[in-house]
Amino acid sequence: MGKTDDAALAGHLRRAMLDADPALSRFNPLSRILVFDQFDSGTHGWTELIGNHDGEGNLDTVDDHMRDFRPPQLSSCTFFDVGTHGAMSGTYALKVATRPIAGHTAVAIRRLTMAKKGRVQFETYFTYKAEAASAENGAANQAGAGEWDGNIHPSEQQFGAFTVATDICDDRGVRYHCVARYQNTDLDNRFTRRWMYPVVPEPTPREHLEGKAKLGRTDDFTAPNPDDWRYFGEPQSFCYNEVPTKVNWHYLRWQIDTELQRNVELQVNDQVFDMRDVPVPAYAERYDALDNLLNFYVSTRTHTNVRNFLFLDSVLVSVDW
Amino acid sequence: MRQSQAAVLERYRILEGEFATEPYEAGWATEARWFVQVLRSSSPDTKLVLTTQISPDGLHWCDAGDPPQVAEGEGMVSWPVREFGQWLRVRGSVEGDEGSVKVLIYLTLKS
Repeated sequence: MGKTDDAALAGHLRRAMLDADPALSRFNPLSRILVFDQFDSGTHGWTELIGNHDGEGNLDTVDDHMRDFRPPQLSSCTFFDVGTHGAMSGTYALKVATRPIAGHTAVAIRRLTMAKKGRVQFETYFTYKAEAASAENGAANQAGAGEWDGNIHPSEQQFGAFTVATDICDDRGVRYHCVARYQNTDLDNRFTRRWMYPVVPEPTPREHLEGKAKLGRTDDFTAPNPDDWRYFGEPQSFCYNEVPTKVNWHYLRWQIDTELQRNVELQVNDQVFDMRDVPVPAYAERYDALDNLLNFYVSTRTHTNVRNFLFLDSVLVSVDW
Repeated sequence: MRQSQAAVLERYRILEGEFATEPYEAGWATEARWFVQVLRSSSPDTKLVLTTQISPDGLHWCDAGDPPQVAEGEGMVSWPVREFGQWLRVRGSVEGDEGSVKVLIYLTLKS
């Protein structure tokens, strides 16, 4: 048997072993699994993102727009109409929840480093929801709410956007973010259902300290100017499933290349987007203390005064190292 | 090993009048404990009155039934909660003429 056949056989054997594991068979990992987070067993290192603080621990020195990204929750996906919905894998999912303030963003982050450069792949099963209406939250009367037609629920237009992104810095201090955002609605709460990316790097605490950037509390921290975002691919619709209390899990697979400092591709259910031409702007300045940084973050951003939720059932990060 | 989690529900937030923290899901936890740190108080006799609230759905709330906690001036108060069901939050009020407090509010949870 030749070398090529050996490699093919090894590939088939590996896939067969993945398929024999009910938890892993739903993923398509690269050769080495770096993390496998099933939130039925805890938060697995996903935590609230916060900006940097001074040497005295004074959190007043944290940038206004980076001090309230909300702690992620272990959610049983419980709703007022059915009680506990549960996750895809067991009872609990990771929930990232905004405040009910237009422009508010909630962010959860997972912090790793790179042992080598190469391909990195983020996979997750996710869903997203706007909060159901109540007398207290008044969601039924907030921007985006419309008539219920028995099919599309008014709350669907009250979900703004969710983002999967990285914060990466190589061993020479070159720092950049690969970013993919699903914009469900524009800032006027109209459906857009498009994937998008920023053409500028995210403003950093150092840039604020140097007087180069100052953002308000609800500014979009990934790229604050709406004109700095570009669509890619065709519009994509998901299974919101008509009401804010039904949870259908969606598959997402996103691959980047830290050798090339580029995106590779994004698969979300039946759509695959070639992202090799999607630019990844790097910071002009070099960063210390971040050697081989490899962070993943997920965020959700509301465009109206209604809480938005992003739920992750599980996350698998794999590499070709 | 038991699971545990600490969440910062308010961070250096200035509170005045009536307020409620964001809903927090804690159905997995058996026990909870609030830590409320008053970093700055508008006057030494400004009172912060805090009441645990619970909810089955994150939308509709009632008091947990424990007596309200009162923080006077600066410092930290803490109290435990058990048999709380699914969601937790704190409602509260800042009492005193045009009183305000700057707070850190932690919710700690354990399975």
